[in-house]
Amino acid sequence: MRIVIAEDLALLRDGLARLLRDNDLEVVAEVADADALVHAVLRERPDLAIVDIRLPPTFRDEGLRAALELRSSAPETAILVLSQYVEHTYAAELLAEAGSTGGIGYLLKDRVLDAADFVDAVRRVGSGGTALDPEVVAQLLGNRGGQRLDVLTPRELEVLTLMAEGRSNAAIAVALVLTVGAVEKHIASIFQKLRLPPSESDHRRVLAVLAYLGTVPFGDTP
Amino acid sequence: MAAGGGRRQPLVNILSTATEPTMQIIRPLFQPQTYRDLLFVAAGIPVAALALGLLIAGWTSIAVLAITPLVVPLLLGYRALVGLLARGDAKLARSLLGVRPDPPAWSEGSGFWGRAKAVVLDPTFWRQQGYLLLRMTLGFALAVGELTLIAAAAGALTLPIWYRWSAPEYGSWHADSLGRALLHVPVGIAGLIVAAWLARALGSFSAWQVRSLLRPRPAPATADQQRRSRRRALWIDGCTALGLVVVTTIVWAATGAGYYWPEWVLLPLALLFAIHVIVELVTARLPRRDQALAIHGGVVAAIFLFLVAVWAVTARGYFWPGWTLLGLGSAVVVHWLITRNRRRDRLARRVETLETTRLGAVEEQDAELRRIERDLHDGAQARLVALGISLGMAEQRFASDPEGAQRLVAEARAGVAEALKEMRDLARGIYPPVLADRGIGAALKTLADRSPLTTTVAVDLAERPPAPVETAAYFVAAEAMANAAKHSGAGRIEISVGRRDGLLEVEVTDDGGGGADPDGSGLAGLRRRVEALDGTLTVRSPDGGPTTIRAELPCGS
Repeated sequence: MRIVIAEDLALLRDGLARLLRDNDLEVVAEVADADALVHAVLRERPDLAIVDIRLPPTFRDEGLRAALELRSSAPETAILVLSQYVEHTYAAELLAEAGSTGGIGYLLKDRVLDAADFVDAVRRVGSGGTALDPEVVAQLLGNRGGQRLDVLTPRELEVLTLMAEGRSNAAIAVALVLTVGAVEKHIASIFQKLRLPPSESDHRRVLAVLAYLGTVPFGDTP
Repeated sequence: MAAGGGRRQPLVNILSTATEPTMQIIRPLFQPQTYRDLLFVAAGIPVAALALGLLIAGWTSIAVLAITPLVVPLLLGYRALVGLLARGDAKLARSLLGVRPDPPAWSEGSGFWGRAKAVVLDPTFWRQQGYLLLRMTLGFALAVGELTLIAAAAGALTLPIWYRWSAPEYGSWHADSLGRALLHVPVGIAGLIVAAWLARALGSFSAWQVRSLLRPRPAPATADQQRRSRRRALWIDGCTALGLVVVTTIVWAATGAGYYWPEWVLLPLALLFAIHVIVELVTARLPRRDQALAIHGGVVAAIFLFLVAVWAVTARGYFWPGWTLLGLGSAVVVHWLITRNRRRDRLARRVETLETTRLGAVEEQDAELRRIERDLHDGAQARLVALGISLGMAEQRFASDPEGAQRLVAEARAGVAEALKEMRDLARGIYPPVLADRGIGAALKTLADRSPLTTTVAVDLAERPPAPVETAAYFVAAEAMANAAKHSGAGRIEISVGRRDGLLEVEVTDDGGGGADPDGSGLAGLRRRVEALDGTLTVRSPDGGPTTIRAELPCGS
């Protein structure tokens, strides 16, 4: 998998690149600002761009804006946005832009600490999946969806949370120490209780859940 | 023809109902409305005298007393008199012309000076004055013309009776016989018919004047509409004045171009137009605090120029306007002195306020820095120390107890995650990134989503306010929400943010038990923060609730 990294802090950029190379991922370019990112992506056409949300010169959200721009100019490149903080409004913007194609991730930089989990998320996004930071999901479930999720059992809520993060059934099974079959049963029950449309891919499943929680507009759901 | 009702019937209708041409021509002579119209036109002469006295006396005394508080009752009284005269004339117009002007709506204003300002800005007041001005210039001239025409016609008609005593002469032709005198009778009849038609026309014209000037207009809604309607008023004023001068000059030229009497129309009109222009220019261009003095000075200058012009076109000789300049000018000087003193006082007070609020802001910043320092030492630094210990122990155990070492490393990693989370929360408390990126609306919505209480956020802003104002407004809302969640026992919070009159307004209301201490550390810090931006913070928190915290921050206009 070919990856471009855009991160203005050299320490972090090098650390990330080392971590990815250690895990047999190919880092083809490391850049420090949004313009360089767009150029690098258009030149290299990588499978994935890892983008810090804050980049020079204003250190606001130009990483996010560049990512949204790349979505239309280089749709085959998946985007993983990293940030010091997460806001579900940004997540909503990213997911709305992604539409039903997938290949979108939004994670706290903290997640780098768990190397295995992080690399898993990188591979997932790079191959067209979704990775949504647990904190975003927690924000959504904790406040917006609170009342509407009363119908779910605690176990189903756990499954829904992992599902919203973009994980596959197998990954959910591993995380909750369940069999894949049990996970599938829980998911079927969740979809039935929340009256969600059945979805064939993990990414579409994320969109359905987020649309249910009122984050992405319903028109974008499959 | 409506004899009793007083309703006007358009001339066209009268013409179409008349069958015989002769009857048609002399019809107005036998219609009561003609005489009503005539009466209203003739009433213009005493009304003109009253209006002339009132307008000149009113504005002169207002100009003289403009610096004293007396100007306020004077303005109110003057407006009342103008209203009385205008309404009296309107009543006359109603019974004689059948037009029905609605009662004028006066804007009242609040506070002592506010009342005076409301008078000056009241369109009804200006329209009534405009009406009186028309009535005393054009109306007066037309009334005199009409009455002269009637007198001449009546004279010609009755010549056969009195030619013996004073026969009119036209060059060498004397109307000194009955036959010759009788020749005047048809001319007199024709004159009376013309006068009757003229009276009807003048009546219609007067009715139109009353309708268009003495009827209140709905108040314009937006500032832009207001500005436009005021500019239009200025145009109408100027064009009317110019038109009147042109008309009277034509009349003057047509009547032998002797003594240039239209100057008595021109001068008062020029004075009023000049005052109008001065008021408009000053209110549009100058800052509020300079307006009163500028208007006063401008009006005095205009009145002085008016009097000089009067002096120049009359006998000249002794320069009496000098005395009025002395009187009115010294009033302006006193006004200027008072304004200067008051401004000096205001500046001194302002400096005092700024010193206090700056001190407050610096103290607040100091306290904030100390809080951040403490948080860093107690939080992140302590975590890093613990991390270092864990890693050091792990290093020691690598050889002897690899499993224990691995456990310690895992602990260390968990500690790093914790430290990162604390740092993030700390950073968010210092300045939430979403506030910089997306503005106060998005930031407050994020805050509301995190709040354990049901929170509604209504932000109504066309554009983002300046950053310091936006940040202060955000922290007012954030602190108020935190207080509500911690102390009040509230279940719901409502936040509204809007802009009005150059102020950013933030209001946070919770349905809790109230009793918040406005001088408690959190609210006092907020007050210092708001005051440093020249804003005000008000806390209403009666026992039993609800609590409303409201900040108003100036943010340009």
